[in-house]
Amino acid sequence: MTAIAISAPETQQESSGQGHIPGNKGIWVGICCEFVEFLVLFVVYFVARAHFPESFEQGAERLSRLSGTAITLLMVTSSFFVACSVTTMRAGQRRRSLYWLIAGLVVALGYPVAKYFEIQWNLAQGINGESGIFFTVYYYLTFNHLVHAVWGILGILWVLARHLAGGYTAEDYSGLEALACYWHATDIIWLIIFPLFYVLV
Amino acid sequence: MEHATQQPGTALSPLVVAWLALVALTLFSLVLGQWFHGAAWLQILFAAIVWIKGHLIARRFIESDLAHPFIRNVLRGFIAFTPIALVLTAFYGHQFARWATL
Repeated sequence: MTAIAISAPETQQESSGQGHIPGNKGIWVGICCEFVEFLVLFVVYFVARAHFPESFEQGAERLSRLSGTAITLLMVTSSFFVACSVTTMRAGQRRRSLYWLIAGLVVALGYPVAKYFEIQWNLAQGINGESGIFFTVYYYLTFNHLVHAVWGILGILWVLARHLAGGYTAEDYSGLEALACYWHATDIIWLIIFPLFYVLV
Repeated sequence: MEHATQQPGTALSPLVVAWLALVALTLFSLVLGQWFHGAAWLQILFAAIVWIKGHLIARRFIESDLAHPFIRNVLRGFIAFTPIALVLTAFYGHQFARWATL
């Protein structure tokens, strides 16, 4: 007699008794890489700040606090809408989930717009990447975050297209959840960046 | 043996509460920054606010409590890094600068 082992299909709830993987494993590899990248940049921030505390104190005073706050509120709200999209999908409310995701996308698009106005404002104040150590670190970290956010926005567009095509159900919505995890991780990173540059002096 | 596993939620109210808390903490930190500009203890408070905000997103939005321990620990570690670094550099900034000089 031959024993045939058939591996169980990967379901939404990986019931290994150790908790499930939100989204899929691939997205968590990406999120871990993103975290490592930003950890290195945060170390650079703290080393620079420890060496030049006056530059960081004066630099933060010159940035637009309004822009930083607007981006924070946009990121937090967009993240909330995307979380609502996952929750309503899970509850089997496909149409509602779609509306939440569209709302998340619209609010997320406000981030690059706010960033554009912030850069215009900075340039009008004579602030560029060569205005001192604080601004070099600020531009490097915030531009890097913007790049990650743009990837996230492209991800939302892709997931939205799949959602419109009926690609998700209450039983299988791992693609939507993976996108949500990436977006929440990008939100966490911004919530760390915000006080470092705009509030803390 | 079957383990009773916690199920992810389908209610929106915990998400709404978390979002309101995140907005309130953001505005609160701005007010604190304006009023107590330059106070050393503010660093500790900001470190706590950063930690609470990160923790809220991890728990409520990502549902890290239900996630695999590796994911839970990655999130915990990442969210804790900056608050710890903020507190350490607030009190040992000069030593850290000396240590980090090439």
